[in-house]
Formats: sequence, C-alpha cells, structure tokens
Amino acid sequence: MVKVIGAIFIIVATTVVGFEAARHFSERPRQLRALRSALQSLEAEIMYGHTPLHEAARRLSAQLSRPLSGFFDTFAKKLMDTETTVKEAWETSLREVWKSTALKQGEFEIMKQFGETLGRHDRFSQQKHIMLALSHLEREEADAVQAQATYEKMVKSLGFLSGLLLIILLF
Amino acid sequence: MGLEVDIIFKIAGVGIVVAFLHTVLDQVGKKEYAQWVTLFGFIYILFQVASIVDDLFQKIKSVFLFQ
Repeated sequence: MVKVIGAIFIIVATTVVGFEAARHFSERPRQLRALRSALQSLEAEIMYGHTPLHEAARRLSAQLSRPLSGFFDTFAKKLMDTETTVKEAWETSLREVWKSTALKQGEFEIMKQFGETLGRHDRFSQQKHIMLALSHLEREEADAVQAQATYEKMVKSLGFLSGLLLIILLF
Repeated sequence: MGLEVDIIFKIAGVGIVVAFLHTVLDQVGKKEYAQWVTLFGFIYILFQVASIVDDLFQKIKSVFLFQ
C-alpha cells in the first residue's frame, strides 16, 4: 500500500516537471509575440503620439499582460522616480523581470542593445532601431516556434516515461 | 516462483519504457540520447539477469558438486 502511494507520488512529480518544462516551451513564443507588439506600440507612441518615454512605458504596461507589463511598469517608475539614464533604467528593469519570463539570453541581448539606442536619436532613427530590434525578435520567434514544435511533446512524454521507469526500477 | 514472475515483469516493463523513450527521443532527432538510454536500460537488465544466472549456477553447483 505504501509502495503504491510512493509510486503515485513519483509519477505525479515527474509528470508535473515534464508539463512545467513544456509550458516553458509554449510560453516563449507567446511572450516573444507580446514583446514584439509592445515594441510596435512603443514605435506608434513615439512616432505618432509624440509621447514622453515614461508616459509611453506606463501606457504599455497597462496594455500588456503579466511578465512584460511588470517590465514596462518598473521602467516607467525608474524613469520617474530615480535620477538615472534611460539605458541604465532599461537594463536594470530588464534584469529584474527577466527571471520571471520564459525568454532566453538571445532576446535579452537584443533588448539590451535596443535599450542603448532608446531616447538618443531623433524620431526617424529611433524608428529604424525599433525596426531592427523587431526583425531580430522575429527571427528569435521563428526559432522559438520551431523549438516548441519539436520539444514540447517530447518533454511531456519524457517526464511521464522517466517516472514510470523510476517506479519499475525501484519496485 | 513468485519472485521469478516478478522479475520477468520488471524486465518487460523496463523494456517497454525504454523502447518508448527511444522512439520519443528518436522522433525529435536526439539520436545520441536515445542510444544512451537504450544502452543503460540494456546494461541494467544485463546485471539483473547476470545475478539471476549466478543464483542458478550456485544452485547447480550445490546440487551436483556436493559442496
């Protein structure tokens, strides 16, 4: 009886681990898409709205969903409250939020490099930098979609099967 | 007899699960991991079978060689 309960615990644990890893794979393209639409809205705010950066960031954080809204929220707060440059505020808020997202190092570098250009040029070169970051992110998104298609199912079944194997070995 | 049946089921279970793991890993193009998994499953079963065969030989020895 105790053995059976332990076996159920093991299989539930490994299956949950597998599904959690799979969720990570499915979350990444979704968040990349959200990030791209965020940059597009930022471009619209800059080009057509002539909005100041902290105002634009606040609006973006209201528009977006969980992990990314936190990023633009902290960015806006840092710009408003502390004496700092845009580059530093962008980078530190990126670092703070990055842990809670499913995004990887490549996206981090793209966003960091984009932040270095933010607010240093006129509107049209700013637009070009946004376009550059968008095209980089698009490439990463295609990558992420492909990784999802290959690995999502694998990780799910791998979790369950490794649990099963562990039970058989220990039984 | 109970123990023997148990161990046969165990070997069969390991075989099935390892075969599934092999196919899953093969499908996503991780051929090298698939081969390692199969190899480790095989080695594990080999140890099990070796210990059982060892038991058998000890028994034969004790029956026929009058130790």
